[in-house]
Amino acid sequence: MTLTPVTKLKRREFLRKGTLGIGSLALSQLINQDVRAEGLHHKPRAKNVIFLHMVGGPSQMDTFDPKPALDKWDGQSLPDELTRGQNFAFITPQARVIKSPYGFKPRGDSGVVMSELFPQLATVADELTVIRSMRTDEINHGSGELFFHTGHGRIGRPSFGAWTAYGLGTENTDLPAYIVLKDGPTAAGTSVWSNGFLSSRHQGVEFRKGRQPIHFLDSPGFTSREERHDVIDAITKLNTKSLERYQDPEIATRIAQYELAFRMQKSVPELVDIDREPQHIQKMYGLQPSEQGGGTQFARNCLLARRLIEKGVRFVQVFAGGWDHHAAIYNALPRSAAMVDQPCAALITDLKQRGMLDDTLVIWGGEFGRTPMIQEHNAGNGEKTAPGRDHHKECFSIWMAGGGVKGGFTYGATDEFGFGVTESEVHVHDFHATCLHLLGMNHERLIHRHQGRDYRLTDVHGHVVHDIIS
Amino acid sequence: MLVKQRLLLVIPVIIFAAFACDARAFAQPSDKYDFNRDIRPILSGKCFACHGPDGAARQADLRLDKSLHALESGAIIAGQSGQSELIKRITSADPDLRMPPQGEALSAAEISKLSAWIDDGAVYETHWSFSPPVKSRRPDVNQPAWPTSEIDYFILNRLEQSALKPSPKAPPAILLRRLYLDLIGLPPSVKDVKVFEADPTPTKFAAIVDQLLASNRFGEKWAAGWLDLARYADSNGYQHDDMRTMWPYRDWVINALNDDMPFDQFTIEQLAGDLLPNPTDQQLVATGFHRNVPVNFSGGAKVEEVRANVLHDRVATTGTVWLGLTLECAQCHDHKFDAISQEEYYQLYAYFNKAIPEFIQKSDNMFKKLFVGREVIVYQSAADRNQAELLINELAKHDKQVATTEQQKGRELILLDFEGPAPVATNNISHPAITSSVEDAPEEGGDTAARTVIKPAESDPGFFGTGYSFDECDLSGMTTISFWLKTDIQSSFNFQIHNSDKSVSAFGFSTANTKPDAWTKFTAPLDAFSKPPWASEEVDWSAVTRIQLTAYGNGPYGGKYIMLDNVVGQQTTEHDERNQRIAGLRDELNALRTATMVMQDAELPVPTHIMIRGDYTTPGKPVVPGVLSALHPIDNLSETNRLGLARWLTSADNPLLARVTVNRLWGEIFGKGIVSTPGDFGMQGNAPTHPQLLDWLAVDFVEQGWSIKQLIRTMVLSSTYQQTSVADETLLQLDPTNDLYGRGPRFRLTAELVRDNLLAASGLLANKLGGPVVYPEQPDGLWMEILSVMDVTEYPTSMGSDRHRRGIYTVWRRGNPYPSMINFDAPERAVCTTRRGRSNTPLQALTLLNDPVYVEMATHFASMIWRWDGNDREKIIRAFRTVVARKPSDEEIKVLLELRRKRGSWYSVAQVLLNLDEAITKS
Repeated sequence: MTLTPVTKLKRREFLRKGTLGIGSLALSQLINQDVRAEGLHHKPRAKNVIFLHMVGGPSQMDTFDPKPALDKWDGQSLPDELTRGQNFAFITPQARVIKSPYGFKPRGDSGVVMSELFPQLATVADELTVIRSMRTDEINHGSGELFFHTGHGRIGRPSFGAWTAYGLGTENTDLPAYIVLKDGPTAAGTSVWSNGFLSSRHQGVEFRKGRQPIHFLDSPGFTSREERHDVIDAITKLNTKSLERYQDPEIATRIAQYELAFRMQKSVPELVDIDREPQHIQKMYGLQPSEQGGGTQFARNCLLARRLIEKGVRFVQVFAGGWDHHAAIYNALPRSAAMVDQPCAALITDLKQRGMLDDTLVIWGGEFGRTPMIQEHNAGNGEKTAPGRDHHKECFSIWMAGGGVKGGFTYGATDEFGFGVTESEVHVHDFHATCLHLLGMNHERLIHRHQGRDYRLTDVHGHVVHDIIS
Repeated sequence: MLVKQRLLLVIPVIIFAAFACDARAFAQPSDKYDFNRDIRPILSGKCFACHGPDGAARQADLRLDKSLHALESGAIIAGQSGQSELIKRITSADPDLRMPPQGEALSAAEISKLSAWIDDGAVYETHWSFSPPVKSRRPDVNQPAWPTSEIDYFILNRLEQSALKPSPKAPPAILLRRLYLDLIGLPPSVKDVKVFEADPTPTKFAAIVDQLLASNRFGEKWAAGWLDLARYADSNGYQHDDMRTMWPYRDWVINALNDDMPFDQFTIEQLAGDLLPNPTDQQLVATGFHRNVPVNFSGGAKVEEVRANVLHDRVATTGTVWLGLTLECAQCHDHKFDAISQEEYYQLYAYFNKAIPEFIQKSDNMFKKLFVGREVIVYQSAADRNQAELLINELAKHDKQVATTEQQKGRELILLDFEGPAPVATNNISHPAITSSVEDAPEEGGDTAARTVIKPAESDPGFFGTGYSFDECDLSGMTTISFWLKTDIQSSFNFQIHNSDKSVSAFGFSTANTKPDAWTKFTAPLDAFSKPPWASEEVDWSAVTRIQLTAYGNGPYGGKYIMLDNVVGQQTTEHDERNQRIAGLRDELNALRTATMVMQDAELPVPTHIMIRGDYTTPGKPVVPGVLSALHPIDNLSETNRLGLARWLTSADNPLLARVTVNRLWGEIFGKGIVSTPGDFGMQGNAPTHPQLLDWLAVDFVEQGWSIKQLIRTMVLSSTYQQTSVADETLLQLDPTNDLYGRGPRFRLTAELVRDNLLAASGLLANKLGGPVVYPEQPDGLWMEILSVMDVTEYPTSMGSDRHRRGIYTVWRRGNPYPSMINFDAPERAVCTTRRGRSNTPLQALTLLNDPVYVEMATHFASMIWRWDGNDREKIIRAFRTVVARKPSDEEIKVLLELRRKRGSWYSVAQVLLNLDEAITKS
């Protein structure tokens, strides 16, 4: 196949012209120039991100932020001064406290405290930084997801992954820089991985489950690989004539993209075929033995995330559904935790054994936390339900691993109820600033001018939390 | 920080006031700098964030956006750059003193321009876009034969200044295709091209321009850009992404563009059509512009919060579309760059805050919020409207007769009133029971009713029934059967009609929601009866002998009772028949009508307050409607509502509206605006590349009665437009991005036009204008991934020709928009968008190669080619011209002939042609 178009353009001009309508930062993606070695703004600690989002919002009191005082307060309302003026999605400020039934203990050499719901994750406790003092501005799923990913509660802004792709490009020009894996819907739909006002080349590309992970990847059944080759070859030849005629670098790009599409048709199905992994790796993630059901979609997505990062994908976003525990939390939460416990532990172990954990920032968390108070009525029809917990924005817990964060470290604190932050608050803007910092980007300098305004992932806020950086 | 402040304070301020007064004396026209082009962007970009209009963010009490302040403070000493603190600070070697404190230092060129400007007297000129546009003198040119339009003098003058020459005229085929794509968004037929090639004269070209401007396809093409501004979509967005019916607004835009509605009227009707005297339905539909906002109906979202977000969006969108200003910056604080205070922002907000509440929380317990705002009824076609008028007339006749004829009482047939001897009842259906007459009867009944008391049974089968027999009755003429029931059983019931045990029809009802131990009347329409599964046939209504009541599902029944009275059949009357006919007509009428959301103001609007830090929960000072003081004043006599605002925006004194509008239209034709930031004409926006041209176009636009078609006509008749887009070496070297327009435009088509053009070339395009959204084929299951209250998870793929309609009619669901258009940079329509990206990705290649919609196009195109007359070479030439208009070269023909020979089918050839860069590009 003809791969190199004939062009009279000098390389420099090609680069200058090839960025029409694209932020100049994205140059790196066009030319695969290694801007990462020294970082975009400073030396990076992480090159890649795997962001595991527990859709719905995990309960901090039942997972990573033990609150023994809740045993005492169980069945009573919280002090009025704490809840006055607070917005809740469904319950009232007077709702009664409900204690956590789970045991907590220190894990690993470092003694990071976590609940009994995560026995496998406990084995990698020394790799984790647990942040107990996260805070967000939104109490609804759609706007909460948007805030957690785009730094803004309304649709229309670029996501963290899109900003990362914009700033750093990809190290594998045969694959998108930013890939999304999920096992169910997000509340705000595709807006959560939107490119917003950045070029659409920075949008998250969803790899769907099954044989055709990208829309329109497969040729129609009647088209052979050979015929497709001939068609693309002819397209390339004719487009090359156009390029000679118009000298428009967009034509050179288009020729390259058709050839890339042809390669992706072969490479992507191989890439997502996790059966190619050795048995012991599949077993580690809980995907074998297959008579036990072959593991969950989340487990497959964790393994696939590692394969994608290995291939040079910059940012993999994994969504895991089932964390919105308004009702019957103590039936549902153990199931949700069990679903992710082994795959998360396996992902960290696997990245580490391959020497990839140092370069890869792994993030685990949800769009907000949950109330220390009980929710006992169905939000839709008002019927009485088994106990649950409502949405809570004032504090929640996440953990991070690899990519330059400390191992075996717990940061921040909340009050005795797990209601509000008392120490070292990490607002979502601070979280974004810190992640960008780890990736070698200064959140105040990663800017895109759009319709007359300079935009940042962190808007006009955000402070890097240096304390969690190793 | 302290050090910096002290340094500024010690500067004596008095002396320089004198300079400030006659600063103009120093002003010399300078070719070293232009204030608006060079100086203001430096000050705005580097200084205004801390020393600009935003009082709250201002440092050291210094502002550099106002001449008086800058001079009085001594930061700028007119005529003496060396003495000016501003220059000292930007050139300081001390990092603690150097300004700006963060970010890049000023370049040597910037410093030199600022110094020159100060030495010349530091004259502040009004920001260029805030001064009214004027038509300047036609510029001199050395090549007077080239211009064919006023535009060309401005373009040529700049080219000549840069020692460049315009490019030759594009070949006729290329030019004609460019014109078709720009005016109607579809390619010319090969026949159209040949006709023009035979007579490629300016007269012929002008005639084709007029013909295309008159085409209905014009509105379909030009509406898309406006719908981006209007953030038009067919769903709410966010977590509960339910569908909404806004397509009548989309059709309004298409029709208004086709009618060449003057742009000032186009503005007024969309912003305030509802406030015009006696607005027509279409003027109401136009106000759908601001009902298009995404609305967050999540369970926990507060109605006031949703409303504030919607109103903020309306203010920001209005500012972007009609002023080219970024008003949203002033939502939380005074604008940092433009003279827009936070108070003024909320004065604009106040115009929109007059609206009625447009949505409510249905109840505390319910997730569901509802749109409750005003709707208007529209029809899909003139035929539907006529049909509806006929129906309405017929309904009126019936209504009149119903009103004039006295209501006849229908015949009633008493089946059981239990006034005689003790009722004969069959109580052994499941449990033994005793039935007797009692004196506790409902008010409508006589003295007695029947009471059945159920005895405990050894095993409770979960149901209890009792039957009453009577002499054979003909119930076939009845419309309903009613009966009175009193019971302490709260459960599901069957009311059965029997001929025998085998011929039964039953009416199901429930007592779960009726008051126990109280008489309740139930009415069962005859058509609500059906054969239960255990019966062998339906009842013969002409010979009914028994009724039976069966309770099931909420036993045990021992000790409970059932009382029954007044089982009566009601016969239909002429009155009932007429009502039935009326109901049928109403159903028919409703099927023809579509309700769509429009604006409405409240009679008693809620007061508006400044929101402290933009937060709706912290109201500050109250404000009343008002406009931006930096712009022209509002007519005191105008309405203090959206209509007044719309009139202010369209006022002849508004320096921005015409400029912003012509710039956007120019950008759609030439690839980018004369101002390359179409959404920002403020101080942070880019300066125009051709300011005098922009002003000429703006003034001319207004002089031509705000006619969009006339403006487009002027542009496409220019020599500038008609140049070839093939760049010569010099142009490529000196103007690689074609900022000086020394060659014709060349860029990829928009998402909709990629679809439209390939549909047209492959012979599949359906030409229907307007109407409900359509659902072309898309990958399975995408709508399963959207949450919504109404739970629309199934994508109702269109059938027939609706699968091949133009892209503008494709359903736009914000939560998961049509993927093959998203792959070509269609925006999410979440917010007002003034400019689309033009990315170039492998996903686009995969879409055109493998999306079943495009595979169908290639297949259809191949079958067309196969059917054509001629040899392979002739067919290839015709197919090539069908897609890209121009003739293929011999080399190009050879590539396709070889492919045809090797693959042995026309499919591969068709697919290659539909995938050419040229096929999706305007050259």
